[in-house]
Amino acid sequence: MSVLPWVVAAWLFGVGVYGIATSRNYIHLIGCLSVCQSATYVLLLGIGYDWGAGPPIFYDHPPGTPAVDPIVQALVLTDIVVGATVSALLLAMALQVHKREGTLDPQEIKPLKGQ
Amino acid sequence: MSPKLRPALLALAALAILPGFWRVACALPGFGSPVSPYGQAVNALLPEMRRVSNMVSAINFDVRGFDTIGEEFMLLAAVAGTVLLLRGGRGEDRADAGGRIGGRAIVPRADAVVLICRICGPFTFIFGVYVALHAMATPGGGFQGGVVIASSLLLIYLGEGYGRWRQLVREPVLDAVEGAGALLFVAAGLLPVFLGLRFLTNVLPFGTAKDMLSGGLMIVENAGVTLAVAGGFGTVLLEFMEETRATTSEVADPDDGRTGDRA
Repeated sequence: MSVLPWVVAAWLFGVGVYGIATSRNYIHLIGCLSVCQSATYVLLLGIGYDWGAGPPIFYDHPPGTPAVDPIVQALVLTDIVVGATVSALLLAMALQVHKREGTLDPQEIKPLKGQ
Repeated sequence: MSPKLRPALLALAALAILPGFWRVACALPGFGSPVSPYGQAVNALLPEMRRVSNMVSAINFDVRGFDTIGEEFMLLAAVAGTVLLLRGGRGEDRADAGGRIGGRAIVPRADAVVLICRICGPFTFIFGVYVALHAMATPGGGFQGGVVIASSLLLIYLGEGYGRWRQLVREPVLDAVEGAGALLFVAAGLLPVFLGLRFLTNVLPFGTAKDMLSGGLMIVENAGVTLAVAGGFGTVLLEFMEETRATTSEVADPDDGRTGDRA
């Protein structure tokens, strides 16, 4: 039973990779990349979780009461925000591809030729 | 590569990785019993050492403040890249009004949508500021607050239409907010250097725990992150919205879908 969170993380990552490999549209591909990314959130938060511990915010309960690992939470927090802007960058690239090639299908696009 | 071969190769790769994954999953610490002494040390020591109650903020802005500078500049670089790509590919022949897809009927915005956006917009903005300000005491912080503030800008577009959005959300303002945020964070890091201490040493008075103004230098860093995130996300929203502008050759309606039944 204690393996279940890691299996969920791996499953999320696998589903995302399957979507990327079989994608026929760049917008869909970027969405799949976000699914892959969310596997890391599950993994990180799962590693920091502690049965019976509270949130690592000592406002309602005094310092010293058991709390989950705050390091991984801080990592996930910044990861989500930075990941959102990286998705925006990728979407901007997809727009450029559509303008240049007239299609969003990764399998239709020819490799760039050297000058 | 043929589209049919692709999933087959993927399945083969998955089969090859699966035994390795299973070993790793079984070797990881059991769920619910963390082994990291680092996090528990932070929980035990930081409330007393820094007088803050939110450990996640304490890590982001104090213990691992240097990493957060790196993350903030990653955000800045991603936003700059988005802006460069979108502006570079967009011609100069754009009108100051939203574009239209030919043949699609113009549905006027419903009054209910306008009303809800006018009520929720300012509240969302204030909620973002509230989340950002209470970073040190309760769950919150500059990253979350900044995103909430930026999304409140989107409600202006939803409720008021493209013309008003362009009047209210100005690009130089967002650029200045984003840049000022990054500058503020770096300045907060350099302040101790000028006093002869190490980069990002917390030199300001810590204040009292559970107070909005506790944490010393962390308050300044949190403000910097709030500004940078709000400005950055606002810029991204604005640039994608600029993509929908009509070209000057098209006949555009400046009132943006609110003509007809409303005088």
